[in-house]
Amino acid sequence: MVTEKKMKKSLELINSKHQLVMKSGKYVLGYKQTLKMITQDKAKLVILTNNCSALRKSEIEYHAVLAKTGVHHYKGNNIKLSTACRKYYRVCTLSIIDPGDSDIIRSIPEQTGEK
Amino acid sequence: MGKFMKLRKVMLVLTRRYSRHKAVIVKNTDDGTSDHPYSHALVAGIDCYSPKVTAAMGKKKIAKRSKIKSFVKVYNYNHLMPTRYSVDIPLDKTVVKKDMFRDPALKHKVLQEAKCKFEERYKTGKNKCFFQKLRF
Repeated sequence: MVTEKKMKKSLELINSKHQLVMKSGKYVLGYKQTLKMITQDKAKLVILTNNCSALRKSEIEYHAVLAKTGVHHYKGNNIKLSTACRKYYRVCTLSIIDPGDSDIIRSIPEQTGEK
Repeated sequence: MGKFMKLRKVMLVLTRRYSRHKAVIVKNTDDGTSDHPYSHALVAGIDCYSPKVTAAMGKKKIAKRSKIKSFVKVYNYNHLMPTRYSVDIPLDKTVVKKDMFRDPALKHKVLQEAKCKFEERYKTGKNKCFFQKLRF
């Protein structure tokens, strides 16, 4: 019960950080573009949803390991992630190129470290 | 952040004839050029993998079975899958260049060079994963 509450709270936190990145920073949405950004070494953080297909997930994780880019597994599906990004289409994969005013890149490893 | 599309990295080719074949990056171009307006890499890879060699085989048979056929091609990054492996084979840069595709004699020379170097390395027994077929 306690962990559920904690998870919900952290999800809200992450969502708010996402919204800040959408407003002030640079990002790409979608598998193809994310892969391109990872290869070009521009991606600072990659976010995958929980219903991202396993093959795609492992491919992106492999590329991210090679590029030493962080990967965050968002605790929600593509619909939730798109809502967090204020888009009207579904997003399974997103990559942050420039965080803008948000501290998402610094704070996400801390949060995942907590768990 | 690290760039991983580098010299000497082993790549898996994903498309067309050489799909599932392993190749080594000889030269990579992150921004396009006029004839290839996309990020691409010149790779040298293995066309025909050598068949299995066991201890029970005689020298002649082993020599026959240690042949490798190579290919050299320019690929878009999208059609290559990077791996964590790298192979330190010193392919002669002055020979392996992009303009080899225009002249068939030059191309033959480049393929011979790649073949020799690959066979040499195969015989020493290093970088085994590069010389093995990807099985799935």
